Amino acid sequence: MLPKHQETLRKVRNTSSFSFSSIVKNGWAILGFLMIIFIFLLPVIRLIWLSITSEGELSLQLYLEVLTAPATWPVIKNTVWVVVFSSLLAIGMGVGMAWVMAYVNIRGKKWMNLFIFLPFIVPSYITTLAWVQFFGNNGPIDYLLESFPLGSISAPNLYSIQGIIFVLGISHYPLVYLFTVDVFRKIPRDLEQAANVSGASKRTVFLKIIFPMTLPGIAGGGLLAFLSNLDNFGIPAFLGIPANIRVLSTYIYEQIIGYGPSAFARASVLSVFLGIIALIGTLIQWFVVRKSNVNETAKRDMEPRYYLSPIWRSVAEIGIWSFLLVSSLVPFIVMAATSFIKAYGVSFKWENLSLKNYRYLLFEDQKVMQAVGNSLSLALITLVICAVVGTFLAYLRFKRNSITMRIVEMILTIPYALPGTVLALCMILMWVQPILGWKPGVYGTIWILLIAYITRFLVLQLRGSLTAFTQIDPTMEEAAQTAGASHLAKWSRILLPLLLPGVIGGALLVGLTALTELTVSSLLWSSGAETIGVVIFSFEQAGYSTYSTAFSSLIVLAILIGGVIFMWMENVWKKRVLRHHDSN
Amino acid sequence: MIQIEHLDKQYGVFTALVDINLTVLAGEFIAILGPSGCGKTTLLKLLAGFIKPTAGQIMLNGELVGSAHSLKPPEKRNLGMVFQSFALWPHMTVEEHILFPLKHHRFAEAKRKQDQRARVDTVLQMVGLESLKKRYPSELSGGQGQRVALARAIAPRPSILLMDEPLSALDAELRIEMRKEIQTIHRQTGTTVVYVTHDQGEALAMADRIVVMNQGRVEQVDSPETIYTRPKSVFVSRFVGKSNVMEGQWISTDTFMPKGFPSVQWKDLGVSLELKRQNVYPIRPEQWKLEEPSPGQLNGKVLFAQFQGNEVHYTVSVEEQLLTIYSPIYEKRYEPGNEVSVRLRIPANLLLRI
Repeated sequence: MLPKHQETLRKVRNTSSFSFSSIVKNGWAILGFLMIIFIFLLPVIRLIWLSITSEGELSLQLYLEVLTAPATWPVIKNTVWVVVFSSLLAIGMGVGMAWVMAYVNIRGKKWMNLFIFLPFIVPSYITTLAWVQFFGNNGPIDYLLESFPLGSISAPNLYSIQGIIFVLGISHYPLVYLFTVDVFRKIPRDLEQAANVSGASKRTVFLKIIFPMTLPGIAGGGLLAFLSNLDNFGIPAFLGIPANIRVLSTYIYEQIIGYGPSAFARASVLSVFLGIIALIGTLIQWFVVRKSNVNETAKRDMEPRYYLSPIWRSVAEIGIWSFLLVSSLVPFIVMAATSFIKAYGVSFKWENLSLKNYRYLLFEDQKVMQAVGNSLSLALITLVICAVVGTFLAYLRFKRNSITMRIVEMILTIPYALPGTVLALCMILMWVQPILGWKPGVYGTIWILLIAYITRFLVLQLRGSLTAFTQIDPTMEEAAQTAGASHLAKWSRILLPLLLPGVIGGALLVGLTALTELTVSSLLWSSGAETIGVVIFSFEQAGYSTYSTAFSSLIVLAILIGGVIFMWMENVWKKRVLRHHDSN
Repeated sequence: MIQIEHLDKQYGVFTALVDINLTVLAGEFIAILGPSGCGKTTLLKLLAGFIKPTAGQIMLNGELVGSAHSLKPPEKRNLGMVFQSFALWPHMTVEEHILFPLKHHRFAEAKRKQDQRARVDTVLQMVGLESLKKRYPSELSGGQGQRVALARAIAPRPSILLMDEPLSALDAELRIEMRKEIQTIHRQTGTTVVYVTHDQGEALAMADRIVVMNQGRVEQVDSPETIYTRPKSVFVSRFVGKSNVMEGQWISTDTFMPKGFPSVQWKDLGVSLELKRQNVYPIRPEQWKLEEPSPGQLNGKVLFAQFQGNEVHYTVSVEEQLLTIYSPIYEKRYEPGNEVSVRLRIPANLLLRI
């Protein structure tokens, strides 16, 4: 609607002339830019630097050592297998579910959506624990097979490559779903109808029209699942380490905590490998999504396009519900049930149940409550700092859209795109001695966790706030100005109320992710600075499965309560303030 | 009063406005008319203060508010603005929309709470929305939204009201109705109105004077009737009057000989000196009439005949040129394919020409 030159208009408005105040402003801008490079980019550069030097000189000696080491290749092979197959599993489930939810006339989609997201908001190591209990010795599958033996079939062993692939796939299919469901909905119905009246059969329509148009969306979601599978540490750590199955992320972890003579150096080489794969994946993902044919502004069409007869519809609904309940609910219920068992291994009977595990967690082991306190304060401080800094950067990025701000956005993306183990190593290398001669002593304290969380999650807030900014029509601001509003009135009465939902959404995402973070924390924690994830992980490693399941159940409960409160508040907000979303 | 002198605006290499000079008197209703991309919205944004001129200056009520070196921001200018998209704030009720400028506009007179309440009621009455005070924008129809936007703009009694294609988001019938409302409000408030539009119907119907713009320049500034009947440029004659511009020769001050028809001579029905100098004669569709073909005349063939209710719109091809002709329905009708002769319709009373 707006003529093209109005785009340039926004830019021109902000080019400052040469004056004293603009020099001061530029000074601040340059300082800020340097700080961003220092905090977000330098750690990565130092990691690469470590990997390509040996005894103070440039050399590829370390690469040679790592690549010729016999232990390296099985790890790489495992990684490829696990990542490729879990991604395919996630794509299959995600796209299938997206197609059904977008196009078929089944009922109760709202509730189904909620269940699809459940494995997404629960941290993956807790999902893993739930599945372990589900397929475990006292789990329902085992019980069923004992009651009705089916020859030699036994409950699947999750401590295997297949187990890792399965849990990764089921944890990450919501990502693919989230990415593709709107792509399906945004394909205009007329395009299908135009093909139909041109004589195309349903099959041809799908193959020639729908599929090519969704391909970028599927590829984008698939790559996101690929990156998450590559990055994931919790699942291969919980399932792979006990079975001696290593993938790159767990192998790097073991190298770092192993403290061999050249542990960090070897880990840095492996990290460069992993980091390069992840960054290439991120770039391809960006590229594919940008190429996407489906218009961003196209309207979402929520009406079904395929109508099943009542009988088939019921069959489809029962099928989907069974899948959702088994994949998102039952494992957690089993986990919760296990957490009441007195001792690991005894069967699930009334006389074996007690609140002993919870009593231990809440009152006996001080480490637990301390970890909850640590995680809560870390999450809260990270959330607040990211909300302020991220929103400010988003404003600059939105207002100027200059090359500098795009570079800033790219730099901020790197720590998030890098796998957590890699980032953790970067943090160690960076913050032990940030500049020659300055040892702030943050490594080994809780502060390194805070720095790492902010470094990793700031981009989430930037994206969330940026979306919020772009969704505000510029005339909202102009109308306030012509109505005489000062800067203060314009921001407090008009812009902030409109921005708030987006900013809060981004902040909650940052807070929740930080609260249950495991990967980075598992390498950076120190005594007294344990986090929730670290404590659950160490319970599990030490064999205290009853404690880890009980703690996990508490966390899931807390997340659910938080989610309900958030949804309730969002509803109130929408009803009170943003009614236009419903009617327009 | 608005004075614009030698105003230029450039975006990088793109020149949006070139040497604009315009004076708008207090209380005047000025329409800025032009096709999209002609610079009319840029001019309005300069008046509002959203952007800074590249050269030249803008004075509002005798005060310099914009030049290449200084810019008074919109919130410090004594103006109100109605946006094309209405720009209603989704989180505020109708009442809050109108209270907002009353609280914040530095030229608003109602400072006490009860005066502000009273002003809200008055303004809502003016636009006929008394009953919708508590509604949110999402609960309003297009026309109601437009009225809220209008009420918000006039509430603080600004000395200048800027309107950026305010009716283009409404459907045809509502547009006609809103024209009257805007005129009524102009009469009641006596404020200076600068109204940007690409619809010549709106400009002709409402404005005291029209500024026709094209490619960043002002083509003509005159009363609606002068703009329509005495265009000073080929562009204005085509854009406002939908004229067919005939080439030929002005053989005397009031006689025109169209090119290729030596036996045809047309009297001057109101052609500006500027166009006479260019040796062209713009003829509006209603100034033509169709007759049976006769030798030596502009003979041609009817390509389309579209019945419009009050008139018939013909497209006639004469020597490769397509002429548009509107003729009253009570005159003799022609069908596509008919051979016809195209003549100038001489008004019964030549003095009616302006």
